[in-house]
Amino acid sequence: MKRVVSVSLGSSRRDHQVLVELLGEQFEISRLGMDGDFDRALAKLQQLDGQVDAIGLGGIDVYVYAGNKRYAFKDGLRLMEAVKTTPVVDGSGLKNTLERETVTYLLQNTDYIKKGTRVLMVSAVDRFGMAEAFATAQCDITYGDLIFAAGIPYPIKTLQELEEIAARLLPEMTKLPFHMLYPTGKQQETRDEEKTQKFAQYYQDAEVIAGDFHFIKRYLPDKLNGQMIITNTTTAADLELLSQCGAGRLVTTTPVFEGRSFGTNVIEGALVALLGKPWENINPVDYLGIIKQLDFKPRIIEMVN
Amino acid sequence: MATHEEIAASLQAFCEGYQNNQKLKLMNRDWNRIIVIKANDIDSQHTLTLHNGELSLTQGTPGQTADLVVTSDSETLADMFYGDITPTEPYMNGTLVIQGTEDDIVRLDFISLMIWGE
Repeated sequence: MKRVVSVSLGSSRRDHQVLVELLGEQFEISRLGMDGDFDRALAKLQQLDGQVDAIGLGGIDVYVYAGNKRYAFKDGLRLMEAVKTTPVVDGSGLKNTLERETVTYLLQNTDYIKKGTRVLMVSAVDRFGMAEAFATAQCDITYGDLIFAAGIPYPIKTLQELEEIAARLLPEMTKLPFHMLYPTGKQQETRDEEKTQKFAQYYQDAEVIAGDFHFIKRYLPDKLNGQMIITNTTTAADLELLSQCGAGRLVTTTPVFEGRSFGTNVIEGALVALLGKPWENINPVDYLGIIKQLDFKPRIIEMVN
Repeated sequence: MATHEEIAASLQAFCEGYQNNQKLKLMNRDWNRIIVIKANDIDSQHTLTLHNGELSLTQGTPGQTADLVVTSDSETLADMFYGDITPTEPYMNGTLVIQGTEDDIVRLDFISLMIWGE
């Protein structure tokens, strides 16, 4: 039995544990929320180091991307560096492969995405693979990085502008405490009412809303009009919430185990354990190969409103 | 230690950097704020006022309550508003103290980086 544990800065209310079989191997996959307590997360990571087969870091990004540049969050690196023996991943490797493939899959197998489809990516630098895939598909994309992370009502419309702004901001902003830019702990359980009201139009104008579910949920307006949501880490309660708000369809990029779509960090941890290679030697081709072997496909759920 | 005049000149450079950046003005049309800049080692106070995307600078404190109060030593303030250092490091090590909401602090950091960033 292989053990993969996700240590998340998010709420412990979303904790869960499942047993799954992947390519004939038994896995125990669990998620432990640290309720935004950074020191507790550090201690838990040190405790798990050497005791499990892989660790995922949840509720925090270590690496984000814009174009060919990679930026590392100081807080994320501190967590990652606390683990000395066990492979530790933040999901960014899988975001660059599996999530890119999700868009390709929808393009090839459905009519949900086409040239000109209005897409709101609530944040693109943490899902640059998906952002590039939408751009390749010639969708009409709004990158909401400034809107939702910094509260600035400026929709970024091209990858080039996203890369330019990222190059100015991210070398410094990644040094700020992560909670200043991303909802952690209890913030994940509440809606930011002021910004939700201020930025509702971006949700309502889109046909597709994609990206990190905590961002999507924190600024989710009361009323949608049939939008497709592309995300992961959703629970049964989240599905209910999206349905009540009027979302038309939910597409999850990661596989669903026991009703729960796991974060990319957890799934990447499982894949690293399966590949049995040092994480630094694993490349996108390795991930794509094993994703194909596992026959991972996006899960599409039609909403009943 | 920087002088009051040097801080004033750095703030003037900051304002000019802002005024020359049309995109930044557009981005801040919704952010009307009064920001007080105070040195803690010399007698020097300035007020930056953002209104409808336009930024103006006056000497002294405003007649109304400030939304943000930025306090540091004179050298750090001058270096920061000239763009010789970014606000992140002095903010993280406590040399620079900003009183205001976290959202406003992120926004001020954003403006500074858009003017002086890489």
